Parts: sequence; structure tokens; C-alpha cells
Amino acid sequence: MATLLILNILWQVSVLAIVTIGLAVVFGQLRIMNMAHGELVMIGAYAPVMTSLLGLPGYANIVVCLVTVGLIALLMERLVIRHFYGRAFDSLLATWGLSILLRETVELIFGRGYQSVPQYVPGTFSISGTDYPLYRLVVMAGIIPIFAGLYIWYRKSKIGVEIKAMVENPSLAQACGINTSRLSAGCFIFGALTAGVAGLLLAPTIRVEPMMGLDYLIRSFFSLVIGGLGSFEGLFIGVGIIAGAQSTLGALFNQTYGYLFILILSIVFLWLRPDGIYRRS
Amino acid sequence: MVSIAGLSAALLVTLLLVPELFGDFAAYQTGLFLIYAIAGQGIGYLWGRTGVLPLGQAAFFGISAYASAHVLLSIQSIYLQIACFCLIVLTAGLLAFLLAGTVFKGRSDSGPYFSLITLALAMIAEQIAGTATDLTGGFNGLSGFAPIAGLDQFGNLYYLVVIAVVLSTLALLTLERLPAGLVARSIADNEPRLLLFGFKTHWIKGAAFALSATLAAVAGILFANHQGIVTPTSSGFLLSANLVIWTAVGGRNHVLGPVIGAVGIGYLSSELRDSVAYWEVILALVFILVVLKVPGGIAEIVTGIFQRFYSFTSHTVSKSVLVPPSWQGKPAQSLSFTGSRVRAGSVTVLNGVELVTPKQGVVCIIGPNGAGKTSLLNVITGGLRLVEGELHYGGQKIHNRPPYAAVKSGIARKLQVPSVFSSMTVSENLAIAMLAGRAGFTDFFKPSTLRWRSQRLSDLLATPGIPLLDGIHHRVSELPQGHRQFLELAMTTASAPGLLLLDEPCAGLSPAETRHMTDVISQFHEANGGLILLIEHDMSIVRALADHVIVMHQGAVLAEGSFDEIRANEAVKSVYAGGTK
Repeated sequence: MATLLILNILWQVSVLAIVTIGLAVVFGQLRIMNMAHGELVMIGAYAPVMTSLLGLPGYANIVVCLVTVGLIALLMERLVIRHFYGRAFDSLLATWGLSILLRETVELIFGRGYQSVPQYVPGTFSISGTDYPLYRLVVMAGIIPIFAGLYIWYRKSKIGVEIKAMVENPSLAQACGINTSRLSAGCFIFGALTAGVAGLLLAPTIRVEPMMGLDYLIRSFFSLVIGGLGSFEGLFIGVGIIAGAQSTLGALFNQTYGYLFILILSIVFLWLRPDGIYRRS
Repeated sequence: MVSIAGLSAALLVTLLLVPELFGDFAAYQTGLFLIYAIAGQGIGYLWGRTGVLPLGQAAFFGISAYASAHVLLSIQSIYLQIACFCLIVLTAGLLAFLLAGTVFKGRSDSGPYFSLITLALAMIAEQIAGTATDLTGGFNGLSGFAPIAGLDQFGNLYYLVVIAVVLSTLALLTLERLPAGLVARSIADNEPRLLLFGFKTHWIKGAAFALSATLAAVAGILFANHQGIVTPTSSGFLLSANLVIWTAVGGRNHVLGPVIGAVGIGYLSSELRDSVAYWEVILALVFILVVLKVPGGIAEIVTGIFQRFYSFTSHTVSKSVLVPPSWQGKPAQSLSFTGSRVRAGSVTVLNGVELVTPKQGVVCIIGPNGAGKTSLLNVITGGLRLVEGELHYGGQKIHNRPPYAAVKSGIARKLQVPSVFSSMTVSENLAIAMLAGRAGFTDFFKPSTLRWRSQRLSDLLATPGIPLLDGIHHRVSELPQGHRQFLELAMTTASAPGLLLLDEPCAGLSPAETRHMTDVISQFHEANGGLILLIEHDMSIVRALADHVIVMHQGAVLAEGSFDEIRANEAVKSVYAGGTK
């Protein structure tokens, strides 16, 4: 029981971390409050459905996912998002409209019902007497090097420096020869792609349906409220608290309590510690 | 603007004609859309005036609807039913007030966070509605109750809904003409300025959110009566989303915008939803287009066309009313910084400031750019936190306070870039300045408060060379920079502060205007006394005004003394000549 709970918490933390990283990049760096982030997760989760409709083999999932989400993100950025850089509140409204549009479009194409996505890696693995889905273990193990890689890349790469410069002072960055328009677009699409991949990874473990994105949007957003924007440390603290509290309370009582708890926690944080736990100085 | 009575009467007549012209079924349908419109009016007011967008208004709507269903199911007496309905509305308002007040107390720019919180609220409400079967009847919902007072859902209940819509329209239109409405409007315009005037903006946002939740609750109660069934969808995400879409498309800046939106889109949806498969997609596209191109929605287009034919603005200069004394008018004290240090990121902005000002007089602060002059003022008004050291005003410790606290100590501030309410007229700006530090709670609900004008302000406006009286009904955004400087000065001195902080008041002024400005400042000082802290680069102004000069350099006080002493000071000379000491 305890092992299962711990494994479940770890699973929820890992998944929420992948969902949140994209939102953190887009909100923290570009000041775009992307309300359609959950819908990008949702579309990523529909990728296996599309793949099988197209009659492509299973390993094409990832290509279908990246191409679809990438194209949608590109359109979003060029047509709407780029007018809103740095204006968090206005962007909220515009992306919220986009989220409705994406949801309704998916509903129009695939219907309102649940889609079941077959398990990519079937089987279970026994850890101290508890059988746990092998797929989840593979995903959890895979996430650690990915995040470590991202961390190092952001710290060391030229693009990482350019992003920091752009966030600090966009016009000065432009004057220094940084193409901020392309860099912002790149950041936004990167954020969207991580959301899509998160959806693809989640697909076999959940019910895939048009409304599923909202839940991920709210949880990832509250993770950022609690953890604080602008650092990997804060992101993991926030994700850990939200996913941990929600799965523990969900297991002990029911999902509604878990939800209520994170809502109240977020309100308290906004009141007493509006910058979150981990504030980059 | 069309008069309140005219607009409300037109609305009343139009709505009363619906059953006569289109029959009872159309009236029944319209009734439902009007109920949504009431909730939409609440969203429109909150969003259009204070700039706070609630994404989960259906939570209040739905919870009230469920509560009303229980009231109608289990209570027979009509008086008791009405009492319960009132209680529901009050509870919704109080909860909303506390929620918004709490969230915005932490930081005033929590707008996007707040929207998400309300969204989560609606999702939880829907989840509880679906799962707490004993209380809510689960997915089947609560039904089997008759409307209040034996009204007929398909008949005379419509008139009750019409009365409610007209009343909420009347109430909101009236509120817009009151000082309370003016203050609410100024939040979206320039919240930092309002904070410097001593308004606790988080409670104002709380009150505005309470108003919108109250309207949502009224709508919820009407909904339960009108539909005879309450299900989880009435508290959930989709309804919340639709309410915002109707409000946005109809127009959030006009009281009737949400009515147009809810009824118009409601009808179109019921006609087209079944025949046009991608209707919802079209609606989402329309919403995005409105957000991008016409933020004011249909109401903006309509009023724009109206104004082309008829100009509504009145140009009567109202008689001014004598004002109660300001609580700000306290005798000046001496400011003393001891070892004050401020850090922003890795940069040390103030590096151990040691400074004791005289109690009276004009003190000029000079120094090169980046010396920490403005930061010094920011510490006084609470925009910057001291990490070390202290700041006292008289005997009182005043560092690290919220910005609205400065007014209570009699401190007023003019910012470097003129900070005024640019979407409002000059007279509205002055009205808000007169409210600051004077108005008690009831004054915010009396129209006469808007005409308050103190003797000092009248004198200032009458001073030859001050360009404000001519354009008093113009929007501030149409004024040139120099006029805004004078406007902000008039607004900050209106409260007769003991300590007046002026950050480069002559920036952007012509030589003639600069002379006027220095004259006004010294006249104010002669009449009012007290302490003035003035940041200035122009040495001729410093020479004309300063009783005492403080030179700042690299976050600390480099020298102080009379103008001549400073001019002779070797260290100051080397700093201004480019040396770094």
C-alpha cells in the first residue's frame, strides 16, 4: 500500500513536471498566461488516435504529435500570441479564446466521447512486492535525464543566455542583434511541444477526451503559484507539493478534497507569499 | 450619456413587449437568457471597470441555484423563502469579498492568478455537485419544486425576471455616477496612483467582486425558480465560459452589453446549434476576434455610431462644494534614515543612507542618474523594502509599509513620469484627488462628493498660467505632457500633505512652464508650510527653491548643506565632473 502510494505520487509528480515546464517557460519568460496549455496537452494525447486513423504504425505517434502540436503552436503564435508578449492579463483572455476554439474543434472532429489509447509498453514490474505498470516506471526513469539535460542546456547554451537577455530587456536584446521575435516564437513553440509530449505520454494512462486539458492547466498553474516562477527548483517544489498533496488526499478521501486543498493552498500563497516558495534572487 | 431613467425605461418597455409580440414561449426563452444576462452584468462591471476577470462565475450562480432549490423544496412560507434568498445573496457577496480581498492583499497585480482561482472554484463546484449525491441529487440534479409565490414558469414569472434585470441595470447605472463607481473605474486605469492616494485597492476589488457575485447569486435564484431543475452544469466550467463570452461579445464596458450578448447569442445558439455543426467553433472564433479587434464588443460599436450623430458630453461646470478637512493635513515631521539599505536582485540600490531632514522647508535631492534618489522616495511611500536599517517620520517607523499607508502619515507623492488617470477627464481626476484622505464610507455613495473642491485646489486652478481649467472636461490622454505635470501636482497637493515628495516636477516642461511650476511649488510651501522633498537636475530650479540640498551618489548621501556650500564642495564637483570619488 505504502509502496503503491509512493510510486503513484512519483508518477503524478513526474507527469505534472512535464506539463508544467512548458507553462513555466511561456509564462515565466514570455509573460504569456497560456490558458490553452491544457488543450495542447489534450491534442498531444489525441496523437495516438490520429496515428491509428491515418493507418500509421505505432512509432509514428511521436512524429504525429510533434507535427500537429508544432503546427498549431506556430499558427497560434503568428496569429495571436505575438501581439501579447509581456501583457499577462490580455494574453490570458486571448489564449482562453484559443483554448475554447481548440476544444470545440477537437470535439467536432473526434466527438465528445472518451478515446482509449492502447498501452505503449505493456506489462508490470514488481517492486518490493507491489506490481506496478512497467510503462510508468520507464517514463519516470526517462524524465530525470531529460530535465537534467534541459537544466544544463539552459544554463550553458547561447540560446539560454539570449533568452535571459530578452526577458531582462527586450529592446536592448534586440539592439544587441538578438532576433527577439524569432526567439519568443521559438520559446512559445518549445513550451507547446513539451505540453504535447506530456499529453502523448499520459494518453495510455488516462481517459482521453476534449475537456481533459483544464485539469492539467489548473494543476500546473497552481504549481507555479506555489513554487515560484523562474527556476527549476521552484518548479519542482511546486509540482511536488501539488501532485503530492493531491494524490495523498485523493487516495485517503476523494479527488474533490485533493482539489479543494490545492485551491485553498494557492489562495493562501497568493495572500501571504505571492512570489512562491523559491524566489530566484 | 443618455439619462439613467431613459435607458432603464427603454429596456423595460422592450422587454415587456416580448410576450405581447412573440408569445409566451419566446418570453420563456428570453427569460432564461435575461437571467444569464444578470450574471453577465456582474462580470461586465467587475471586468470592464476594475479589470478583474472572473472565469468561474457559475460557481456562485450554481451554488445559489442549488440552495434555492432546497429552499423551494423544504420551506412553504413565502416570507421565509424570501428571507432565505436574501441570505443566499448576502453569503455569496461576503464570500466573494473575502476571497478577492485576500488574494489581492498579497500583491495588487495578481489579476491572472485570480482568474485561475475563480476557474478552479467553478470546477470544484461542478465536481461537488456531481458527486455529493445526498445534497445535490448527483447528475440528475434537484427537481420537483414550484416557483416562488405560485408564479407560472411559462407565464408571469417572466415579469419577475424583467423586474430583476431592470433593477440591476438601474443599480449599475447609478453606481457609475457615484464616487464609488469612479474609484472602481480608476483601478483599471492606474492602480499605483490610487494606492498612493491611500485607497486600499484590494478591498475595493473585493467589493466589486462581491457585487458581481451578488448578481450571479440573484441570477442563480431566478434560474432555480425559472427552470424547476438544477443540475451540475449550472455550476460548472462551461456556463462560466459562456457567461464571459456573452459579456465580451455584447460589451463589457456598458451595462447593457451583457444583456445584448446573452439574449443575442442565446437566440442564435438555440437556432443554429443543431443545424450548423461547427457553431461552437464559429462562436469561439468570434470571441477571439472581439478580444483582438473590438475589446468593447457590440455595445462599443453601437455607442460609437450613436455618438457620431449626437454628442452626449455635458460641459456645465458644476458648482464646487466645500470639503471636510483632510486627515492628511498633519504637521510635518523630520524624516530620518539610519543605515538604510535596499537591494534589487544583486544590485545594491541604497547603500547605507544616513540622513536627517529638517522639519520644515524645501529640501532638494540632487545627484547623477542611478544615485538612488527615486529609490529613496520609493522607500518612503512603501514601493521598495529596506533589507537593513530604518526609516522614521517623526517618532514613527514608516519603512516596509504597504503603499496606501503613506497618506495616513500625511505623505503625498508626485511621480517622475506623471501618473494620472489617463482615461478620465481632468475634473474626474481632481474629484478622486479630493476623495483621497477625506471621504468617509458614506461619502462614496453621495453624488455631491464628486463636486468637492477645497479652497487650496480652487486657488491653484485659478492661478494664472495653470492650464487646467480650460480643458477640465477633456480626457487626460488628450493633454500634453506639461499639463499632466500640473494636473498631478494639483492632485498631490490637494490633500495639503505635511510631507510632499516631488520627483522631477519640471521634467518635460517649457521654460515658461518651468517658471510657473516653481512659482506654484513655492506658493504652496508658503501657504501650507511643511516639508517638501524635491528631486531635481536643473540647478537653477534648485537654487530658486532649495532651503537645503542633499547630494546622493552610489546609493548614499555624499554631502548636504546650503546651495552655496554644495556648490563649493570638492567631492560633489568631482562626481559631477565624472570622477567616481
